[in-house]
Amino acid sequence: MTWANDGNNPMIHFSGVTKDYDNLTALRDITFSVEKGEMLFVTGPSGSGKTTLLKLIYFAEKPDGGTISVAGWETGLLKESSIPFLRRNIGIVFQDFRLLQNKNVFENVAMALRIRGISEKEIKTKVYETLKAVNLRHKADVFPRRLSGGEQQRVVISRAIVAEPTVLLADEPTGNLDPDTAEGVMRTFKEINAKGTTVLIATHNRELFRNSGRRVIKLDMGNLVAEERAQ
Amino acid sequence: MTYAVILAFQSLIREKWINLLSVLTIASGLLIISLALFTVYNIDAATKNLPERFSMILYLDNDIQKEKVDAAVGLLKKNNAVLSVRYIPKEEALKELKATLKNSSYVFEGLDENPLPDAIEVKLKKDAVGQETVRKFAGEVMKIPGVKEVDYAEKFLSTLNYLRVGMKTIGLILIASLGAGIVFVCYSTVKILFYRRDEEIETFKLLGATKAFIRTPFLVEGALIGTSGGVVSLLGIFAFYYIVLLRLSVSMPIFKAILFPTDLFLVLPFVGTFLGVTGAAIALGRLKY
Repeated sequence: MTWANDGNNPMIHFSGVTKDYDNLTALRDITFSVEKGEMLFVTGPSGSGKTTLLKLIYFAEKPDGGTISVAGWETGLLKESSIPFLRRNIGIVFQDFRLLQNKNVFENVAMALRIRGISEKEIKTKVYETLKAVNLRHKADVFPRRLSGGEQQRVVISRAIVAEPTVLLADEPTGNLDPDTAEGVMRTFKEINAKGTTVLIATHNRELFRNSGRRVIKLDMGNLVAEERAQ
Repeated sequence: MTYAVILAFQSLIREKWINLLSVLTIASGLLIISLALFTVYNIDAATKNLPERFSMILYLDNDIQKEKVDAAVGLLKKNNAVLSVRYIPKEEALKELKATLKNSSYVFEGLDENPLPDAIEVKLKKDAVGQETVRKFAGEVMKIPGVKEVDYAEKFLSTLNYLRVGMKTIGLILIASLGAGIVFVCYSTVKILFYRRDEEIETFKLLGATKAFIRTPFLVEGALIGTSGGVVSLLGIFAFYYIVLLRLSVSMPIFKAILFPTDLFLVLPFVGTFLGVTGAAIALGRLKY
């Protein structure tokens, strides 16, 4: 399955999207776009629907109303069997890390490539390159529980970017980090974005995008309440 | 595929106690199947030569003419089911009876004339010695002129038949039920292993893993558990023969007659593999992920 974006369409487009969980409406009539190569922030308090919005992008949830297209693929029309192949174009930095506790740092990052059936030789080269980029090359053999929160976050970022995805999604990527480490993580995202990857970061921390000049959409109680450029 | 094998081995080591328990359960099941097969095989071998000893006696009319006897013998020899035909004149029959009962010769005291009739002994071919075929053959023989009565060991035939069918049925029931049991053990083991790795599998999915990528290690693991069970049962049956039966045969020579079908048991690891993969495949097919 190929990534269908031709460059003219938005990389991500939500049109009147609604998502309900039982009696709770997580997202209501959301419409917005993310252009190719853009770095967009989604902000709002806890429970505003940021995580749900990301889950809809990486096909972990299906919308109850409206349409979503990611790189030209309308998610509602996708066959179940196509989803893994489309997910391979999306790097995800999970809020809860989702690191494999029984595998070391190298294996955790390599997993994103093994799933794609890439050769061992290439896996070795790419994983060490990526770990070097996030300054974790020396921790390749260490297991996640032996790492600090900031180091674990960098492993998750490495895993998300090692396969050079077209879109990078990050859910509260600096939630557990001290200001210095958070700054380092944000610097990494900017570098990835500078190489052409579309980056979408969900955060409640306004400091991350203050004065960045980036586009920010604000959610509150599942509604899109503001769309502006960070000044 | 190589990585699936690595993941399967890692899981085997990580979940060693569950896997060891499954291997031993499968090995026990396969060992019982092997012992059942071993018994059926030996009973079958022991009863295989019994039909060669089977014969029918056709009693002829009193004072039957020689031409009629020759005609009857000729007719019998033409029959495809017949292996050999022997005419026994009543004098010879009496001589044979006296030889058999030589320790009880008083039975014949005061006997003025030979009470035995002329007879024909018919031996059938091995394939024709069956309860139904013999009954049918006896019916045909009664139509031959001069034949007064047919005698054969009907009870022997039915016992032989019951023994063979009974043992085969018991063997088949054992194989089917224990085979299903082994599949269920593999099914349950893979299901438990799957649930224990639930979080890991969810992460794999979110990273873009296909169902095949997720399933293959479990199939490999099922195969490895099944194969290991097969190998352990193979060692068990060899140990049973070489340590138990051969030692017993020193003091009890009857055990020397027992046959050990090595070729039959060498397939046990492959049977284990098949049952293991089947159990794993059923478990993966029923799981929603």
